[in-house]
Amino acid sequence: MSTGVVQSAEYRNNQKRKDTAISTFIGIFAFVWIFPILWTVWTSLRPYNDIISYGIFSWPRHITLVNYFNAIREMHIGVYLMNSLIVTVPSVILTLFFGSLVAFVVTRYQYKFNLWILLLFTAGNMLPIVLTYIPVFWMFIWVGELFGNRNLLYNNYGGLILVHVGFQVGFATFVLSSYMKTIPKEISESAKIDGANVFRHYWSVILPLLRPALAALSVLMTTWIYNEFFWALVLMSDDSKRPITSALRRLQGQYVTDFNLLAAGAIIAASPTVIMFFVLRKQFIAGLTLGSTKG
Amino acid sequence: MTTAATVHKKRSRRSLSKTDRFTLATFIGIPTLLQVILLWVPAVVTIILSFTYWNGVRLKDIHWAGIQNYKNIFFNNPLFYQALKNNGIWLLFFILIATPLGILLAYQIDRGIKGHAFYESIYYLPVVLSLAVIGIIWNFMLQPGGFVQGLMGRDIGNAISIWGNPKINTWVILGIASWRHIGYIMLLYLSGLKSVDPALKEAAAIDGATDWQIFRKIILPTMQPVNIIIVVITLIESLRAFDLVYIIYGSPTIFPLLNLLVFQNFAGQGISMKGAAYAVILLVLCIVPIITYLRISFKEDLK
Amino acid sequence: MSEEKNVLSRRSVIKGAAVGGAALAAGSTLSAGSADAATKLKGSTVKWTTRGGGATGDAIAKAVNDAFTKKTGAKVVAQQVNSDDFQNNFAQIMQGSPDDAFGWMAGYRSNHFGEMGLLADLTREIGHLKAGLPAAAIKGATSPVSKKPYILPTTYYPWGLHYRKSMVKDIGMNPENIGNWDDFIKMATLTQKKGLVGYSLGAKGGWEAMGTFDILNARVNGYKYHIDLLNGRAKWTDARTKETFKYFAQLIPFMNTNFMDISWDGMRDLLLQKKTGAMMMGSWFANDFKAKSQADYDDLWVVPFPEINPKFGVDTIDAPLDGISVAANGKNVSGGKALAEFWASPEGIAAAVKAGDTNIYVSKSFDTSAYDAFNKQKLAVLAAASNIMFFLDRDARGDFAGPVVGPAIQSFLQKPADINKILENVQAQWDALPKQ
Repeated sequence: MSTGVVQSAEYRNNQKRKDTAISTFIGIFAFVWIFPILWTVWTSLRPYNDIISYGIFSWPRHITLVNYFNAIREMHIGVYLMNSLIVTVPSVILTLFFGSLVAFVVTRYQYKFNLWILLLFTAGNMLPIVLTYIPVFWMFIWVGELFGNRNLLYNNYGGLILVHVGFQVGFATFVLSSYMKTIPKEISESAKIDGANVFRHYWSVILPLLRPALAALSVLMTTWIYNEFFWALVLMSDDSKRPITSALRRLQGQYVTDFNLLAAGAIIAASPTVIMFFVLRKQFIAGLTLGSTKG
Repeated sequence: MTTAATVHKKRSRRSLSKTDRFTLATFIGIPTLLQVILLWVPAVVTIILSFTYWNGVRLKDIHWAGIQNYKNIFFNNPLFYQALKNNGIWLLFFILIATPLGILLAYQIDRGIKGHAFYESIYYLPVVLSLAVIGIIWNFMLQPGGFVQGLMGRDIGNAISIWGNPKINTWVILGIASWRHIGYIMLLYLSGLKSVDPALKEAAAIDGATDWQIFRKIILPTMQPVNIIIVVITLIESLRAFDLVYIIYGSPTIFPLLNLLVFQNFAGQGISMKGAAYAVILLVLCIVPIITYLRISFKEDLK
Repeated sequence: MSEEKNVLSRRSVIKGAAVGGAALAAGSTLSAGSADAATKLKGSTVKWTTRGGGATGDAIAKAVNDAFTKKTGAKVVAQQVNSDDFQNNFAQIMQGSPDDAFGWMAGYRSNHFGEMGLLADLTREIGHLKAGLPAAAIKGATSPVSKKPYILPTTYYPWGLHYRKSMVKDIGMNPENIGNWDDFIKMATLTQKKGLVGYSLGAKGGWEAMGTFDILNARVNGYKYHIDLLNGRAKWTDARTKETFKYFAQLIPFMNTNFMDISWDGMRDLLLQKKTGAMMMGSWFANDFKAKSQADYDDLWVVPFPEINPKFGVDTIDAPLDGISVAANGKNVSGGKALAEFWASPEGIAAAVKAGDTNIYVSKSFDTSAYDAFNKQKLAVLAAASNIMFFLDRDARGDFAGPVVGPAIQSFLQKPADINKILENVQAQWDALPKQ
């Protein structure tokens, strides 16, 4: 950042004033930025009856957590959060695993098709999803029929996980391969010299070195997959199996007038990723930048 | 020592063992298969279906349609042109306003203003939220009976039309989308900025350059690869805009977008392969940004 | 294709429901058939979907399902889903792993999907219930193409002008006294003068405004023209259709200015919060009023939309028929059919009503003398018409009603001057539809 630079005093004063102005502006702007979220939190802390009787701007007569209790109880939020967990964790693990496998092969071994594989995966990540929704649905049904159980993939956590992995593995591959390019070739060479087979090469040598990249990526992937709500609407007909973000749709329609309850539900749904963001901020940022800047 | 190493090196250049080759094949094969089956095959299926008439249920009902679906879309469907317009406005807005704001924000924060870590978090917060949650948050703000209406003293009976007013709703939706996009761009750029050599900036400052000049002449050029990536990401995000508008409206009739039109026609109660045609049109529009991104990201490898 | 055959001949339905009282308990018990069927049911699980309805919907479902369990020993697993999402993904859900039985809508929605094999053929169940159902209801539930019923008819309701009796003074005139279009406009003007919404509309969902279009078209051009129009035998560009929209345009100045921002539930809230005069809507929302308070529910009243063309009077009404359908791909189809039959039987209906359902049932077993005043008025409104339509998005093809007509009406509401262009476009899109 700026260190002790030799500039005229007047310029420095001007700078300082400009800087303070900018700081203030950014500060105020930040408040405006976050206001909608604050308003929702505020709404969730006020009981419904207060709002009905006195309006949304009334001075709070009660601040209460009752909406949260009701949300958890009436909306079965526990079930939905569990569903989100069941879908997100395996998806992230599998995505990172598969991504690292592909990145491993294309960066550590010279094959002519390496580049094409990378192109395939990266491009796949950028395809518009609507291109695939319905055929994926049909595919799931047909495969299910083949095995005599329509619910093999459709309306099944496994199917949803598969879909998420398929869509995110491209990004993981791209990021991990550019990260792996920074791992010196010598490490791989000495592993081969030591007689390690491919599997050991991957598992014992390369994988541990990927830890920072995996940590960063996992934070990012968890956020994206957790936040995704649309696939579950298409692939899960059982409402009780849907992740919390998809269930919010139903709750939004059902509690369309009970703002306070809905607000509490939304805040609960948003909490996992927000908490994770604040706790693991560094990894988050690292994960993003791994993908966007090379080396 | 060297001789032994050379001998070993020569040995390791021999072809890999069968197990090794099998392992490699699996390593590459399974993920690739997954990708191809879940992404590329459906994409091709959609493309093929766009040339048929079908109601989406029984295979025997598929009839060849040629380019009829496309003709229908291009000549008979005003919603299509509205959607194109909306996607276009979205694109321009993101490129000309949202992304530059993100870059500007990143630059200012990077200069070390007080509390920059705090600001980073605040501005990035919307990106971490699910669009389902964002839809609810902004409904609270804007719907009849919500915050903004309340500020103006209007209740549900005389609330100003925001979601439904075509003059306003575009900007409101873009505002909400930007709310998210700006934070995302800001963070991307910030991390890139951290890698700009501070010595360069110092040297320029010593030479009497103003901040703006430093930004234009030193930072922007150094960040060239990041710049392009950001542009391409902006392009792709605006073409893929869907979740937010689906949450707010559910159907594409008020604020049509290509993605929404795909969904309305491809799924639901009135399935027709016009949906597939819309999806293909969207794909065609995405191809240029995708190829650009690929060329830039793999510049060295492609040589 | 010949969707017009979906519509009931009005008179027989009302006569049927009004007969009321004694008799019909008999034929409607569960598959009195074989002992096998009964034992197969016992201990099995049947899955039920409630389409929207909030807490009341769940309560009603619980009451009926519990009664079913008590009677047959079969377990019922129920879930509620967002109605829009259910409809939007209906084809997928039906092909995937749907619940066995669920509330659905007669007309295109049950016929089309039934003909495609996604809904179970309910001929046998309708046979069991036949004695208790008016012939017209059975006809309305039967597909004109395959001649099979894919839905068991249960409830129906009129689309009419709803208002709150306590607000007659604010409205300016008693809606019951509106005789023709001029009276109607006068009423809307008076209501607006009092600071209320003269003609409320929530068009965000895309289908709500069809209610107004349907009734206007039927009043101006007659029932036959309307059905012809929806089936391609009359043209949208015809001068007669344009005439309907001229009347529609006269209503726009009286609407709440945020009509594109709210959906049907916003309209309901306008009435609930006493911010509007008379409102054109279907009576299904009365359940929500009752859930709010008995006083609110008792305040509700409804009258038919006024006459416009003396030639047609008030002879037509939108009275959508709802019922229970069974998914052909459900895990327990026979259980689903039994559950569906129970819902549609007098026992099931009694349980639903006891749990708070205020809808009118077509079943003849229903003792309408026990109806509350509002429901009796609903019957009267229905009785005034001799032609029944189901509603535009049930009488017309699914790939036309929602994707084409809905947005067209919304465009018209926002830019009434563009109506000619809009209608040309609708006609062009109709012409481009693939044969079905």
